[in-house]
Amino acid sequence: MTSSHSAISVRNLWQVFGPNPENIIGSPDALLPRAELRAKTGNTAAVRDVSFDVAPGEVFVVMGLSGSGKSTLVRCLTRLIEPTSGSVVMDGEDVLQANGSRLRELRRTKFSMVFQNFGLLPHRRVIDNIAFALEINGVKKSERHARAQEVVELVGLRGFEQAYPEQLSGGMQQRVGLARALAVDPEVMFLDEPFSALDPLIRRDMQNEVIRLHKELGKTMIFITHDLDEAIKVGDRIGIMRDGAMVQIGTPEEIIANPADEYVADFTRDVPKSHVLTLRTIVRPQADGESVSGVSLDAKTIIRDATDAVVNAGGAVTVTDNGQSIGVITANDILRIVGSGASA
Amino acid sequence: MSSIVEQELIPEAKKTIPRGWIFAGIIVVWAIIGKIMNGKYTLAVNLADQTKMSASINDWANHLGQNRQSNPFFVYFITPVREFISGLVDFIRSVISVPLAHSSIPMLGWLGIFAVIGFIVFITSNFRQSLFAMAMIFSVGALGLWTQSMDSLALVLTAAILSLIIGIPVGIWAGLSDRGLAVVTPILDLAQILPTLVYLAPVALFFLIGPAAATIATMIYTIPISIRLTAFGIRGVPKSPVEASVSMGTTKWQLLRHVQLPMASRTIVLGINQTTLAALSFAVIATLIGAPGLGDPVVQALVLRNVGDGAVAGLAVVLIAIMFDRSTSATLKKQGIYVPPSEKAIRNRRIGIGIFGAITVAAIVVSRQFKWAAFFPESINVSKPIADFADKFTSGAVDHFGFATTGLNTLITETILNPLESLLTGTPWFITSLAIVAISFLLGGARSAIVTTILLLAIVSTGLWQDTMVTFTQTIVATLLTMIIGVILGVWIGRSERADKVLRPFLDAGQVLPAFVYLIPMLGFFGPSRFTGIATGIIYSIPIVVKIVGQGIREVPVNMNEAAISAGSTKWQQITKVQLPAAKNSLLLATNQGLIFVLAVIVIGGFVGSGGLGYLVLVGQSKVEMTGKGLVAGLAILLLGVMIDRIAQYTVRRNSAPKQ
Repeated sequence: MTSSHSAISVRNLWQVFGPNPENIIGSPDALLPRAELRAKTGNTAAVRDVSFDVAPGEVFVVMGLSGSGKSTLVRCLTRLIEPTSGSVVMDGEDVLQANGSRLRELRRTKFSMVFQNFGLLPHRRVIDNIAFALEINGVKKSERHARAQEVVELVGLRGFEQAYPEQLSGGMQQRVGLARALAVDPEVMFLDEPFSALDPLIRRDMQNEVIRLHKELGKTMIFITHDLDEAIKVGDRIGIMRDGAMVQIGTPEEIIANPADEYVADFTRDVPKSHVLTLRTIVRPQADGESVSGVSLDAKTIIRDATDAVVNAGGAVTVTDNGQSIGVITANDILRIVGSGASA
Repeated sequence: MSSIVEQELIPEAKKTIPRGWIFAGIIVVWAIIGKIMNGKYTLAVNLADQTKMSASINDWANHLGQNRQSNPFFVYFITPVREFISGLVDFIRSVISVPLAHSSIPMLGWLGIFAVIGFIVFITSNFRQSLFAMAMIFSVGALGLWTQSMDSLALVLTAAILSLIIGIPVGIWAGLSDRGLAVVTPILDLAQILPTLVYLAPVALFFLIGPAAATIATMIYTIPISIRLTAFGIRGVPKSPVEASVSMGTTKWQLLRHVQLPMASRTIVLGINQTTLAALSFAVIATLIGAPGLGDPVVQALVLRNVGDGAVAGLAVVLIAIMFDRSTSATLKKQGIYVPPSEKAIRNRRIGIGIFGAITVAAIVVSRQFKWAAFFPESINVSKPIADFADKFTSGAVDHFGFATTGLNTLITETILNPLESLLTGTPWFITSLAIVAISFLLGGARSAIVTTILLLAIVSTGLWQDTMVTFTQTIVATLLTMIIGVILGVWIGRSERADKVLRPFLDAGQVLPAFVYLIPMLGFFGPSRFTGIATGIIYSIPIVVKIVGQGIREVPVNMNEAAISAGSTKWQQITKVQLPAAKNSLLLATNQGLIFVLAVIVIGGFVGSGGLGYLVLVGQSKVEMTGKGLVAGLAILLLGVMIDRIAQYTVRRNSAPKQ
């Protein structure tokens, strides 16, 4: 496995609620659908045998409907909920084996989390909310305020340092949440549906903000969401969860182009394919006698972004991969994808 | 699932006889047997006669008294605790109320205390509240009760501080740990149904009559309140900030200090407020076991039936209660808002504290130097006119509206009280018990019946069956009347915003005052009689009942009401067919609370002619040879209270509308 090159490597993670959870894992009962398992043993398998790797600097999105286990999964990774079994390796260390004080140290230095309901402390000013993680780590006041001030600038909270959370809008509050998570300069950030409680317009701003921060700081992120558009927008790769299990992991393009099952296909149906797929997915060999224009495009180009060039080319466009031609496309090929729109 | 249950239940429900009919049937059969066997097996005991249990407890109490010096439990535990607490009370008293050995005044004269109180309230809330508090404390002096008030203050402070020192940590434990909660919950529940009068005697038996016993008895009453509110506050902290903080790597201690305590501080301050007020209300009754202070003139007035003096003393208690309440609730209001004050406001406040502090120090110095500042000026005394007014007012009321007060008294006494009392006390005990068990079964089911049986047998074994039934009768009558009035007012405030605005201040004020204080005007209106206790019980318990019912009515979903209105129901139909049934849980809860509140007051009605167990407790307090009987009466009150509470709880559990 690639765990030595991963920022975080999750193996066979289980989280089973209810009586004697460890007896379930590995038994035939573990394969039962959730409702049947609950009826039979009284246990609920919130996370079932989940494994995945996240590369350093990658944004890995975990996505699923409510109840699919994604929030439990992210809490298992930080042990806000104790997983029943499995391993979560960061920097060669299994987080699940850490004792109380080591776990606190990891939480203080290696990873941080952003929450759906912000989780700010209402009795502290913005600056002291941001500096809180440093404060509990024993950083001196002047030092932690200086660091907090840097992060304030970074997330666009300047001028609000002395405000209290209740004086801020939801979007601004979540900026505080982001700033607080960034303040300790973590290796990995966990974001649990960070924007679900926000209005659509603010949500879009905040998504862009996360993309920007990711570009600037290059943090590894594990991002939980129930919104596929958001997943596609921010994610390098997406893992789709259903009933506690990870049903498919792939780039947005892979998932849209080849949904693993009906469930995933259902999810992806409404996504405009031309916005996600690249030319690679529609490239085809040149037909006999087809005229080729002089234009060529890279295979990694998103279809939508290629539209203008292809339509104006006046003939088939050559698609290249690392400079090598791998076939052609025409305006018609693009139209077919755009026209298939919501449901091909 | 639910459809299967319904299919099974519906035909059966049709077959059963309505519970109202069964209830009526039980009463009729009971009454008939009562008529036939009237006066037989009633277990009557004369006031001066000992029962088997009271005699043996008397012996045990004597034995206890004789071995006080030698028994290690006393030598190493009871006595040191008593000495510590009485030392503490004496110390505070020497600061504010009792002259020092080599001087004629306490450490602080009245002017000093006056300023200190103003200064403390200024720091904890604001200047307006500070002026208000000083006005209250000055008025108490003007009522001629300065020293008594300071004595009460000393006791209340000692009890409240010690209660908070014990109650807040235990409450934090119960807030953080489920096991902690499981340990304290039954104790808190018991404390809630225990009428205050009950534990005076046992505490006095161990700690001897005096300020220490009074403080400890007060603490037994107030510690549960601070535990409950602290635990409630900690458990009420929103989950997400706690989770976020844990995810940042806080230790348990950091989490408590930086997150849970600050976020629970509102409720904890409310706990401080409630603890202090409860301590004050208890300190009045604790005068029976040696609490110095305002309780003394109140009890004197009740014993001597002197409404005027009682009114003055009662007013002093009320003023101090309002002072405590207002100053802590202003702190509460200040706490909720996190919006920062402006720089200027902070600077002004600092200047204010400086000036006020300097004035306070000056006042303290002056109060130790000059006689006029040391002793509250006797020339300022309004107690006489107030006493006269109270006398005139009540006697005038009795003169002019005597037909109403006496009429009401007679009406209730003859139509409900007497028949019910003769039914409960005049019927053979086993018939009455059977009837009570049957009604308990009807209301709360088999478990309720079993528990009731056990408790009734326990009451019989105390030997005070008849007195218990007297008290029980009054409790039932007072609760019935409370519920009638309480539901009417509750529905009113539940339906009308304006009614709520008008009544709410009275309800709030009513809950602040000690029950004892209500006895005085009732005594003026109704004279010494059983109805006086009942009327006091009603007045005392109405606020809580009205509040719960009003809340229940208000919580009925709007669309339910709208559906009823659009279906063309009249206001009356809307209330009786929609709102009251939908607020059933609140009605049951209100009844339960009403019963417990009423019982607590009915027993202190022993002061004003209620008879029954309360009177026995009071007699036990005043006569050594009756100590045992007083203690047994206390036990019987406890058993009765538990029985009433259990029946009510089982009834609630069985009849609650399922939560949606």
